[in-house]
Amino acid sequence: MISQRKRLSSGLSVTSKVFVRSRNGGALKIVREHYLRNDIPCYSKSCQHCHDIVKADAKGELPTFILSATPAKLNSQVGHYVVLDTNIILHCIDLLENIQCFYDVIIPQTVLEEVKNRSIPIYQRLRGLVKSEDKGFAVFHNEFNEHTYINRLKNESINDRNDRAIRKVASWYNTHLNENNSPEKIEIILLCNDRDNRTKAKAEGINALSLTEYIDLLPNAEDLRDLIPADSTLSNELSNKENETTFPEFYSEARILAGIRNGTLYQGILNISPYNILEGSVKVAAFKKPLLIVGSKNLNRGFSSDSVIVELLPKDKWREPSSTIIEETTLGANDNAEDADENGDDDISGTNGVVSDKERLLLAQEAIRATTAASEEKRLQPAAKIVGITRRSWRYYVGQIAPTSVVGEDSGNSSRSCFVVLMDKTLPKIRIRTRKAKEYLGQRIVVSVDAWPSNSRYPNGHFVRSLGEIESAEAETEALLLEHDVEYRPFAKNVLDCLPAEGDNWVVPDLINTDDAQLKKRVDLRDKLVCSIDPPNCVDIDDALHAKRLPNGNYEVGVHIADVTHFVKPNTALDQEGASRGTSVYLVDKRIDMLPMLLGTNLCSLKPYVDRFAFSVIWELDEDANIVNVKFMKSVIKSREAFSYERAQLRIDDKSQTDELTDSMRVLLKLSKKLKQQRLDAGALNLASPEVKVHMDSETSDPNEVEIKKLLETNSLVEEFMLLANISVARKIYDAYPQTAMLRRHASPPATNFELLNDILNARRPGMAISLESSKALADSLDRCEDPNDPYFNTLLRIMSTRCMMAAEYFPSGSYGYPEFRHYGLAVDIYTHFTSPIRRYCDVVAHRQLAGAIGYENLDLSHRDKNKMELIVKNINRRHRNAQFAGRASIEYYVGQVMRNNESVHEGYVIKCFVNGIVVLVPKFGIEGLIKLELLGDVNTADYDENKYELKFTDLNGKKRSVAVFDKVMVDVKSVKDEVSGKRKAQLLLK
Amino acid sequence: MILSPAERSYLYDSLSQKPPIRPGARSDHQFRPLEAKTSFLPNSNGSARIRLNDGSECMISVKSKVVVTKSVTNLIDVDIDVAGFRDDSNFVSNLKYNLTSLLITNFPSQYLKLTSKYSFKLFIDCIVISHSSYPLSLISLATYLALKTTRLPLLVSEVNDEEIEEQPTFSDDWDNAKYLDEAFEPPIFITLGVIGTNLLFDPSIEEEQVLENGLIVSFYKDNVITPISNINLATNSNNSNFKGLNQKLIIESINLCNKYCPAIIKALNTLTEQDDEGDDDHIF
Repeated sequence: MISQRKRLSSGLSVTSKVFVRSRNGGALKIVREHYLRNDIPCYSKSCQHCHDIVKADAKGELPTFILSATPAKLNSQVGHYVVLDTNIILHCIDLLENIQCFYDVIIPQTVLEEVKNRSIPIYQRLRGLVKSEDKGFAVFHNEFNEHTYINRLKNESINDRNDRAIRKVASWYNTHLNENNSPEKIEIILLCNDRDNRTKAKAEGINALSLTEYIDLLPNAEDLRDLIPADSTLSNELSNKENETTFPEFYSEARILAGIRNGTLYQGILNISPYNILEGSVKVAAFKKPLLIVGSKNLNRGFSSDSVIVELLPKDKWREPSSTIIEETTLGANDNAEDADENGDDDISGTNGVVSDKERLLLAQEAIRATTAASEEKRLQPAAKIVGITRRSWRYYVGQIAPTSVVGEDSGNSSRSCFVVLMDKTLPKIRIRTRKAKEYLGQRIVVSVDAWPSNSRYPNGHFVRSLGEIESAEAETEALLLEHDVEYRPFAKNVLDCLPAEGDNWVVPDLINTDDAQLKKRVDLRDKLVCSIDPPNCVDIDDALHAKRLPNGNYEVGVHIADVTHFVKPNTALDQEGASRGTSVYLVDKRIDMLPMLLGTNLCSLKPYVDRFAFSVIWELDEDANIVNVKFMKSVIKSREAFSYERAQLRIDDKSQTDELTDSMRVLLKLSKKLKQQRLDAGALNLASPEVKVHMDSETSDPNEVEIKKLLETNSLVEEFMLLANISVARKIYDAYPQTAMLRRHASPPATNFELLNDILNARRPGMAISLESSKALADSLDRCEDPNDPYFNTLLRIMSTRCMMAAEYFPSGSYGYPEFRHYGLAVDIYTHFTSPIRRYCDVVAHRQLAGAIGYENLDLSHRDKNKMELIVKNINRRHRNAQFAGRASIEYYVGQVMRNNESVHEGYVIKCFVNGIVVLVPKFGIEGLIKLELLGDVNTADYDENKYELKFTDLNGKKRSVAVFDKVMVDVKSVKDEVSGKRKAQLLLK
Repeated sequence: MILSPAERSYLYDSLSQKPPIRPGARSDHQFRPLEAKTSFLPNSNGSARIRLNDGSECMISVKSKVVVTKSVTNLIDVDIDVAGFRDDSNFVSNLKYNLTSLLITNFPSQYLKLTSKYSFKLFIDCIVISHSSYPLSLISLATYLALKTTRLPLLVSEVNDEEIEEQPTFSDDWDNAKYLDEAFEPPIFITLGVIGTNLLFDPSIEEEQVLENGLIVSFYKDNVITPISNINLATNSNNSNFKGLNQKLIIESINLCNKYCPAIIKALNTLTEQDDEGDDDHIF
């Protein structure tokens, strides 16, 4: 349809777009009116025309001209601007962010929108580049500019149309600047990796270059060449040459959509087993058990945590989860010639001609039956294969170049491909091309994955940067932060600009002589005897407490939380940064803050002897610690003392101390014990995780000792009151905002999670079982599981039970019904996080909601909008999980470093048994390690009894031995470095 | 409009002549001049409007939806709205019934078939903004034009989904949308007035008052088809001339329609072709 432009008024004309939208199988004709303007500037400082046409926006601000008047010169000695194509951005965002190249870049709106549709993370990084202004990235709204808007031609695909629009931008800039308005010539270069598009552009008189050609023109081309991502055309040649196996092609989108609807295909997140890289599972709502995906053909290029579409396999392919250990490193450590044969590869995909949907449906019903039936088939799990990948989880990966893949002498400067083994064991090797493979050997490097064509055995990627020598503390720390997607860069200038101008000199303003209405609402609690109890050397003090006996015999107890939201106002850059970081991350030697230091360790931190703003919860509790009354208020406090747990304990225990502060701490301790008892009576769980602490040498900051964390009474004193505050606040904000209150829930574990553990218990410790009717029953049954000969058995069981639990999660109250708010572990009906706003963003939101609920200030819209709240909780849930993983990984790394010097024999417990190995947990270090059968004894004599979870074998000394789950064993612990992955691991040897 | 006895008598006598003398100086097989426009509703798959000199006006929009063939009883749904009449009135229900049954029985449903499981369903919405004479042929001709210019999005996914189900996906380019079929000529209704032994095509409101009977003839693929029904068109008259229908006249009506209707179809086709070439200026 040829649509015409009509002028509506001066500077505004209208045209219309007609297209068909397919959605859910329907086809809708859509007509859009499209308005075009003539006042969109080119943003070039050298343009003498556009300054006259710009109009102010709604805030009265004029657009800033960002493209430099004297842009960087190429070999031709003429300054240039670059116009980017979508694919360049999608593949080379790292290069765009590099400070050595890409200044004065024009991003057509068409490209920006395409990037947004293809990849949100890359889009956000691009927006960041544009926003920061230091690299001169300008978004040109070509779709709304009268001169650059183009209509789609008949039979033109939308991609061709967009390519044409981008070329139009380049040619418009060229004429606009060079023929009319710029005093000096500025070359416009269109960067595009599509050969066809370049040919067309050249025919239109545009200087179009591929990325490689462009980089070669730059003065510092040498340094940049390696950073160019793998070209898809290149990798095709490569794979053709090497003639690798082919993976089955993915189904078409039409087939996937219909398949999901008629119940023959299923969607879920792929989860690769940490013990077997060729085995993945996909949890699908339709089945009680996850679907097993075995073998690389069935895994079909899936990465762990990709969102995938799966199809069931015939019943004879169903199997039990494998009890074999397969690691990528064992799989093809030396494979360069690509001829490794793969284990467990069922060649069924694609070969079995046509299977109709009807048969698939029958299969699905059978699978449902099999997963619900409690027959002897109980352990059989339906198997499936991946037929589509809806969303890749690709991100930056940290790894190291496999030494075996770098062969032959360096033939000069030509790039050669080599493999990068990733730190994450569940991911395959990545093939990169680099000239400097030798140089990068022995370094931690960051790579990014570009593509995984169906004819390539390994995914192709490219080198991003090097972190440094393997096992240097800096490289390892940065690696684990990257691996867990923790933002660790220093705070940006616009974030720091949001802090109070006084900086460290900020003091609490005068409360009495003030015009500030909010300040007047603050309650002065500086006369209360407040103190804080924290771990030693704590600098970010979130919370402080006080207690006082009231004349009526009850107690007044106050919890005072740092008033972070006084400084972090909604919708500021500071707030956004906090929201995106979500939580502070605690590593052994380092803390990655959620909020800038100034707030965390000074202005918000409830330091002793100075006035600080706080958010206070004050209860009246009776003798049995029942709540008589609760009040919430913004306040000013003055902490009398900052105790460490140990010092507080000593002071309480010291009978000679009888001052008021000590007495109030004794009151707190007494009440906290009652609170704890109440909680345990209600069924709160006392679970265990093997937590250890690494001591650092204070001078060299080398780790030198590991100890298991000790808990003092004062730990639980603080904990109990924090729980109480969280619960009280949760009730209050749920009352005020029933749809959007920020809450935290912990779902009860599904019975299937405990199936295996109970089965093991049944086999190894007859008579013991974990009951699941309620958290109370679970807690009690855990208490009953005592082994008189082994006091650690109970703890071990608690550790294993913890792993069967669901993870607690944040949620806005509107997402669940009230009964589902329940926190299973704490055995309370409603819960939130309120007490650590310096290090958790959930608490910040809870603070704002509580301030809104008590009428202190209006609640920001974003915390009253359910959709926005969903986005916030989704992010903080993920960040929270990542932070935990990062913390654990950090401990693991340092434990490895400690053991490096002291090899010794320790007690361990078998927690898993496989056909070809066992997993042993060493409580002393909180580590667990795999001992493969080869190291245990003679592989041929091994006999695994899967009903008894017992492995029998002849050990290296020729003695017959058997080990089973829960067995206590002595193991020789030493730390070894895996040459392939570069990871230092605890190597355990059975004694 | 009510005619005086003298007017009635004069008109009756003129129309009973051989050949009849019609008030508009039309010959017996001549339609009133009409003005038409197609494809003017941007959001519809097809649309048409017909206006007559006396201000009668009818607008048709055709929209489509993808349905599972098994789940619907028919693939065409007609809705008629006549200004001044309730939707549940006999007048509107009769119009609707006539048009629906004509289309359902004579519409080649293979044009709407997408895959073995899916089809397009057409929703034909008519609005009669104003009318004087019985509006069925007006609606029917406008529907002809609308269906003739109806375009359906182009299917790009597999057509054969017998064994493995696929959700239909379509080309996003409206320019790729297809007409139902180049050769397809939808069925139409022609209204004939009976007076004496004369048959009058497209009687006007004045003529309707003195008619002895009325015939509705359906025409499809160059032939008169069933149903052929008679109707009393002189609804406004307080002194009807209504009489029984001579069988011979039915035969004659078929002959006449077979003779003249192809010319009507041809005229309508020319109209759509001309409209296609013209630009899309708005009609309002």
